[in-house]
This record gives sequence, structure tokens and C-alpha cells, in this order.
Amino acid sequence: MSKVIDILHKAISKSLAEQTELVREAEEFFLTRFAENVIHQNVGRSDSTIWCRVINGKKMGIARTNELEYDSIVKTIRRAHEISLVSQDDAQLAGFRKSPKGPPSKGYYENTASYPPAERADAVGKIVAIAEKNGLSAGGMFQTSVTNLAVVNSLGTIQEDRVAEARLSMTLTGAEGRAGFAQAFSRDVGRIAVEELAVAACHKADMVSEPMALEPGKYTVLLDPEAVADFLLFLGFLGFSGKGMVSKRSFMVDKIGSKIMSELVSIYEDPEDVEMAYMPFDYEGVPRRKVALVENGIAKGVVYDNYYASAMGAESTGNALQPGNSFGPYPKAMSMSPGNLPLADLISKADRAIWITHFWYLNYVNPMQTTVTGTTRDGTFLIENGKVTRRLKDMRILQSMLEAFNNVEAISLERRVVPKYGALMRVPAVLIKDFNCTAVV
Amino acid sequence: MADIEKMSRIALRKADSLGAEYADFRYEESYFERLDFADGTAEKLEQSTDRGFGIRVIADGAWGFFSSSLVNPREVSRAAELAVAIAKASARINKLVIRLAPKTIARDSFRTPLKIDPFTMTIAQKLDYLRQLDDLVVKADGSISREAFLDFKKTTKLYYDSEGSEIWQELVQSGAGMTVTAAGQGRARASRSYPSNEGLFCSGGWELIESEPFADNIPRLCEEARALLAAPECPSKICDIVLDGSHLGLVIHESIGHALELDRVFGSERNFSGASFATPDKIGKLKYGSEHINVICDSAAVTGLGSFGYDDEGVKAASIPLIVNGILTGYLSSRETADKATVPLSASMVAEGWGNIPLIRMTNTNLMPGRYTLDELIGGVDDGIYMETSSSWSIDDMRQNFQFGCQLGRLIEGGKLTTYVKNPTYTSSTIDFWNSCDGLGDASLWRIWGTPNCGKGQPGQNARTGQGASPGRFRRIKVGR
Repeated sequence: MSKVIDILHKAISKSLAEQTELVREAEEFFLTRFAENVIHQNVGRSDSTIWCRVINGKKMGIARTNELEYDSIVKTIRRAHEISLVSQDDAQLAGFRKSPKGPPSKGYYENTASYPPAERADAVGKIVAIAEKNGLSAGGMFQTSVTNLAVVNSLGTIQEDRVAEARLSMTLTGAEGRAGFAQAFSRDVGRIAVEELAVAACHKADMVSEPMALEPGKYTVLLDPEAVADFLLFLGFLGFSGKGMVSKRSFMVDKIGSKIMSELVSIYEDPEDVEMAYMPFDYEGVPRRKVALVENGIAKGVVYDNYYASAMGAESTGNALQPGNSFGPYPKAMSMSPGNLPLADLISKADRAIWITHFWYLNYVNPMQTTVTGTTRDGTFLIENGKVTRRLKDMRILQSMLEAFNNVEAISLERRVVPKYGALMRVPAVLIKDFNCTAVV
Repeated sequence: MADIEKMSRIALRKADSLGAEYADFRYEESYFERLDFADGTAEKLEQSTDRGFGIRVIADGAWGFFSSSLVNPREVSRAAELAVAIAKASARINKLVIRLAPKTIARDSFRTPLKIDPFTMTIAQKLDYLRQLDDLVVKADGSISREAFLDFKKTTKLYYDSEGSEIWQELVQSGAGMTVTAAGQGRARASRSYPSNEGLFCSGGWELIESEPFADNIPRLCEEARALLAAPECPSKICDIVLDGSHLGLVIHESIGHALELDRVFGSERNFSGASFATPDKIGKLKYGSEHINVICDSAAVTGLGSFGYDDEGVKAASIPLIVNGILTGYLSSRETADKATVPLSASMVAEGWGNIPLIRMTNTNLMPGRYTLDELIGGVDDGIYMETSSSWSIDDMRQNFQFGCQLGRLIEGGKLTTYVKNPTYTSSTIDFWNSCDGLGDASLWRIWGTPNCGKGQPGQNARTGQGASPGRFRRIKVGR
């Protein structure tokens, strides 16, 4: 038993509550940001958070601290207990559960954990050199981190594991609205191909210049994986959470078993995907498992934590977020199945399409219709007769995401892992018809 | 706190001994409390504490920062070493040397003015308050869904730097809000929130929540939610619009505040939260808005959510004009960017907690009031839409083209409010929009609206900002699709 588990165990033994759970998340990360070809921010942080949840009858109390001394943890348990006593009964409260030990993490790499600041800076130096050689300005970030998660509860759950991650993102910009974006994610920093990415971003920035304004209207669009991930993240919030099923605010309500997207589309919560290698258990200590969300266009299911699973008469899928969050369960490792055509073929087969790198500031306008608005950014192009012919001015879109995923015409063979707001998504590029572009930005 | 002072000395000495040209040490200890109440049940009761320190240095002309939640001399020394090593790594590729604009060295303290410290009240008292609101909603409309919250934060902050500043601050922020939602056929829903979509968020104590007329507004909110459920969709057309102050605060936040952050202007956020069209060559020339538009950055505003005594670079809170009679005159700055752009320090460097480096953030970005009553603003519109309470927002990565939506819309016909319309949205661009303003509400309608969740930076940082606004009238705006 590790020292952390030992302390959590001892502290739980002092709890006066009927059930007690302690979650400890520790993270050490380093992040180098660059812009205008210089490093303008370079930071590191070491932090730990301990959440305590207690249950007395049908009442729950939650307290949190980042003071790791034994006395502080015991004090936090006492605080959670006191809060629970003045709380109200929650008829839906199911109680904690004993979870079996999860499979060991496949997401820890020592070389990522110990990656030094000088190597991150040198990597940025390589990107800057490529940008300068091409008359471009480089901006972006390079992050390496390690997260340790431990969950212990009074029913006998004991989980502890760790994952590492490396992320590199860059935008290379130049005159006349030239912009190229590239990003990569890996648990193993050694697999981040720094120069290859910089060359790819350069290539996009240099593809064609003199941006043209395209009349607003409905177009066929080719969404890069990053743009597909922007949509998937929102679909996760609006539909793939068990909380939405309970509150009847999910587009999946009454749709399980029905066709909601093109038959070309299959989306899974897949924490065991080798490229994502997600933490093998959630913040309640429940082992994560693969969940079919949409299969061949048919709505199949949503993800659950213990609370919402109980409310729906289902089993937790291991998708609890941090204790006390207001989102409910969320799919953190979504995987969209690939198609059978290389991206180059999707381009060459398009008669006329807008190629979108990714979106910015998406926000929902009508959640039940999954309608969002936002703008394109960092490289928007016109494809004509199978060739990229013009750089376009960015456009505002107003689009139902379900409608878009219903209008899928083709999906690329290649996929990329895209990290966004704590979630990972492994996604392909997608060709979609009748996509609504409402204004030139 | 004597221990913290000792640790600050360890940090600053260590950084100096390793060759840092500049160093600052910031310790923060925060207490949070959040209570969520929905449909008669306390959904969430949470208390939390958080503490730690951060060391920021300039070495070989470049920035380095390291922070830790382990508050002991050994960790402080390790953090100082890492911060200097990180800075020296940055310097390997940087060709420019960081320079800081001069500031006044301060040995001072500041405490948020308040009457009732919310942390002296019990959870039971706060739950009673929420329960009473819930009962009033049930009394007004027995079948409407309701949510309410209370949110409190107290931060003790100690700041020391190698230039000699020593600053102690205690900042208290209080929040409360409510939303009612009427459900109709199928998936139809209509919500109304009070006093804004974010609720009430301000610097101060429980007295500010007590003085907010939540109870008085409950019947109106329920009636409006029901009316919106049955209302037609907002029409699509080009027309005049009148916006309530809470929503206009969000437009100020997105299209003025963010656009005038100098780090963004200089490209620091280009790869993430975007850049800005408002480049420094436009200062004194750009007609940002009509003559009615006067905007200040005011980190000293009483009760503003973005208020403090000193920012996280130890710069004293200040009031800086950003737009005067419609002309761009200033920016939100840091010591580094103020030197680069030769503009005044605006005391705008704020970090989310001890674990993050300070970034240029909005403090309170205040659009000063005009001279009209709400009736006069509406009375000046023959055919238009009145919109209230933000529901959706999106702006491009240069802070120009935007689309906003509101919870409530009402047609304005012949200078009078008439039919309710649902899902009102409008699209415009920053300069066109602010230049189309021909009237703002008077001082009696003006307040600083709090935004508790402004995101920026990598790693992502959440800031709490204020936006002063009264209602405003805008001519010939594209409404709907």
C-alpha cells in the first residue's frame, strides 16, 4: 500500500459518517508558451487536491482542501460530516460502492514525467526556426505533466494510478491572413514530432494567400479532426451524460435505439484506446469501460457515474468527474470511428467545399436542437474540383450538430487525438454537406 | 503569517543567488463556499480551502515561474531554483530582454470593505435563505422549475518582490442568483434568471445579497418564463435594439475588455484565445464607438467583482480611461506590456490563485452611464426589439464579429414594449455596434455586473471580472438569422 493510500485509510478510520470517500489528485506540470517567435511564459506547478464526500442517511456533505497533512485531512472529513448534517435528504442518493481494482494504467511514461525545461525550450526553438525560415510568426504551447489519482472509500474501494501527457500546439501566422495550425497529444513525449508538426503548420499557412470572402450560405465542408472534436465536445455536454437523461435535457432522451446521425458515424467512450490511454478509473474509483454512444448512426447509450446510474437504474460506466462538480458524468475519452478514405482523397473528391481547420468560441444557441454558433479560425480554405484553390476569410457558422452528423458524406481514414478542456477525443476528418455559414468574419 | 514572510525571504534570496534580475513571491490562502438549491432540495453544499505560493522571476532576460501547494522552506527553495532554471531555459531561444515599467514600491495592506462577513454565518442560515426563495417561487408558480445558489470566496494574499514591495490583502467576494424554468410541450423550455444570467457577483459581504430584491422579482420572472414559453420566435430583420444593463455588461466584456488586453494585442494568446484588432497604432485615432461611449478600467471600484487594493504585480488599483467620447485612449496593461507600448500601468495583472502566473485580466471594465430612463430609450424606437439577460455569446478570435442571444425578447412598437418573443439573437461587429449606440441609461440604472467565470490563458485560468453598464440603445442591428 502506498504512503498516500495509507494516510487516506487512516484518516477515513476517524470519520464519524456512515460512509466516507477520499479522492486525492496530484499533478506536476510544466508548460512553455511562445508567441511572436519568443517564449513569453514558462511555468511549472506542483499541486494536490483532496476531496472528501460523506454520506449520512440520504444526506451528503462535500469538503475540499489542498493541505495534505494528516490532521488537515481529518479536519476536512469532519467539515464534510458537519455539512452533511445540516443538508437535506436527497431521495436519489445511492451511497458509495466497493469497486474492483481497475486495470493498470498504460498512460505513464517516465520520459514525459521528467522532461526538462531546456528540452521544451529547444523544441520551441526548432519551431521558431522553421517559422522564421518561412517568414512566419510562431505562437503556441508545449506542456508535459503527470497526474496521480487515488480513491479510497469506507466500503473498501482502493484505487491509485498515474498518467503522463505531452501536448504541443502551434499557430503559424503571416501577412495577408496566412495561418496554419497543428497540434499533437501523446502520453509519450518522445512521440511528439515537433519539426514535422511545424512543417505541417507552415504548409497550411503557405497553402494559398489573399483571403477571399465567400457569400454566406449552405456549403459542403471538410472539418479537420480538431473541428470535429469541437463539435464532439459539445455533443458530450448536451447529450452523452447521464445527468441529461435524468433531467430530460439531453437530445438522447427517448432516442436510444433510434437513428440520430448518418450510418457512417460511430462514437464510443473508449478509455482503453491505446492512443488516449486514459486513467483507468474515475473519481469514484469505478473502473472506466468502453461505452457505445452512437453506433452506425443509432443512439446507443450515455455515460454514468454512481448517482445518475442509480437514478436511471443503470450501472456506472466509470465517468464520474471531480466530486462536487455540477456537470455530472462526462465522456472524457471519446473515439469516433475512422472511414476508409485518406484525407487527401476527401479533398480530391470534393467538387466545392470549405475546408475548416477548427472553430473558435462555439456556444450553443438552442441546446435541445444542438444548435451552436462560432467562427472558423487558423486556416479556412476553398476546395474546388478536388484542389485547394483559395484561402477564405473566416466565417461564422450557425449549425445543428446532430443535423451536421446526419449529413456526413465521408470520413477520413486518419485520426488524431485532440485534447480539449480535460477531455481527449480521437477523431477523423469529416466531409459534411449543407453546412450553414451565416456571415463573413 | 510571519512564517510566510520568512519563506518569501528564502525565495527572493535564492532567486537572487542564482542570478535572477527580478523576483516576486505570492502566497494565497482561499476559502470557498458554494450552496446550490433546486426544486426544494439542497443539491450541493461544499466548503473548500486552498493554499500555496508562486515564485516568478526574470533571469537572463526571460520569465520563469514555479508554484507549489507544499508550503515549507525546502519546497520554497526548490521552487525558486526551478523558476530560475525555467527562465534560463526560455532565454536559450529569446532574443529580446524583458523590461518592466517602473511602479511605486508599496508596503501596504487592503481589505475588501464589507459589513457582514459571509464566513461568519452558518450553513444553516444560508440554507434558510435559499429555502425562503424557493418557497416564494412555489407560491408564485407551483409548477415551475427553480434553481438558486450562494457562492462565497475569501482570499488572503501576501505579495513580496525584489524591488521592496510588501503587500497584505484580504479580498471577499459574494455571489447569489436564481433561475426559474417553465417547461412546455415536448422539449420546450423557457428560463429567466435574476439579476443576470450569472446572478449577482460582487466584492463585499452578505449585506449586498440582502439588499438585492430577489423576492420582489420572483412573480415577474415566473410570468415572463410562462409568457416566453408561449411566445413566437424572435423575427429576423435589421432594426433598432435596446439591451438591458446585465447583457450589455457581457458585450462590453467580450468586445471591449478582451480586445484591449495588451498581451492579447501583442499576440500572446494567438494560438489559444486569440488576438485583437485594436492594435496600439490605433490609440487616439480609432473611433471605437459613438460619442456616448466612455469606458474606464477601474480596479478600485467599490463592490466591483474585479476590485482589489493591488494587482498581482504589486501595482496599486487604478482608474484608467480606455475609451473617451468614443475614441480609443488606453489599454489594460502589465508592467512588461506597458513598457513595450508606452502606456500607463492599469493594475490589471491577476492570477487565478497561487498556482498561476498573473495575466492581463479585466478588473472592472465600466461603460459610464448616459442620461436616459429606460422608458426614454424604448420610447425612441418605433420598430425594434428589447432584449434582456444573456443566454448565448460568441465572438471571433480577433474580437470583431459577434453573435449574442438573450433569454427575453419583446417587440418595441411605436415606442412601447408589446409582444414577447423567444430566442432573440443579434449579430454585429465591434466597431459598427458601438458606433450605432445613440443612448445609454442614466446613473440610477447603472451597476457593476459580475462575471465569475472568465477564461483565458494556458494553463486555463478563471478570472472574476466586473462590467459597469446601464441599458443601451443601438440602431439598425441585424436581429435573428
